[in-house]
Amino acid sequence: MEALRRGRRSSSAVVVYVIILMSLQVFLVTVAAEAYLADDSGMAWATAVASIVLFACAAAFLKYLRP
Amino acid sequence: MIDEPVDPPIWKRDFPYQAAAEEEVTRREFARYLVLGTGALAAGNFGLAVWTQLRSINRGQPRAIVAAADVPIGGTYLFRYPGDDDPAVLLKVSESSVVAFSQKCTHLGCVVYFESDADRWHCPCHEGNFEALTGEVISGPPTRPLGRIDVEIRDDGMIWALGREAV
Repeated sequence: MEALRRGRRSSSAVVVYVIILMSLQVFLVTVAAEAYLADDSGMAWATAVASIVLFACAAAFLKYLRP
Repeated sequence: MIDEPVDPPIWKRDFPYQAAAEEEVTRREFARYLVLGTGALAAGNFGLAVWTQLRSINRGQPRAIVAAADVPIGGTYLFRYPGDDDPAVLLKVSESSVVAFSQKCTHLGCVVYFESDADRWHCPCHEGNFEALTGEVISGPPTRPLGRIDVEIRDDGMIWALGREAV
């Protein structure tokens, strides 16, 4: 029973982390859109790299969830 | 009196589940959809970066813009360069000198216009100001100068755009 409760708590924590990462992704999309409007390719690439790193982090969190 | 065993309802026979297990699956599925969502956003960001890069690669081909005599000294002329979706503006400084810039503010892409009384390019969206001849930032939120377009007045009396300078 205790293990089940601990498992639920950890899976909830993972969901919260992923939600935070997704919020950051949405912010990065706005930054990328601004870079596109301003023809700032340097900023656009930096945003893309950061976004991919965040996606990798979010994907890594999945392994902490029980299948 | 002895309670007889009650058959489970049909829906429970057809869709057997355990409440705790279902909650775990739902949570995991939810997390997976979120991760897929972040993946989609990352793909969108990457696409935007590629699109931005492709736009900056096109520097334009030399072409005549307007007859120099049709633009008064201190006057401006709007045109499209290098593509039809790229607003640009030239300023005739003297009989033999013109400068041209992309009309998109380097802050958020609003259209800048020339303020002759202040001798500067002005972006009305966020009060950005650029130097008239060089396009360098004078004040406001922009951090980069206006995109410069090489122009010259040729012997045929036409103002030619030669290409957009690398940012």
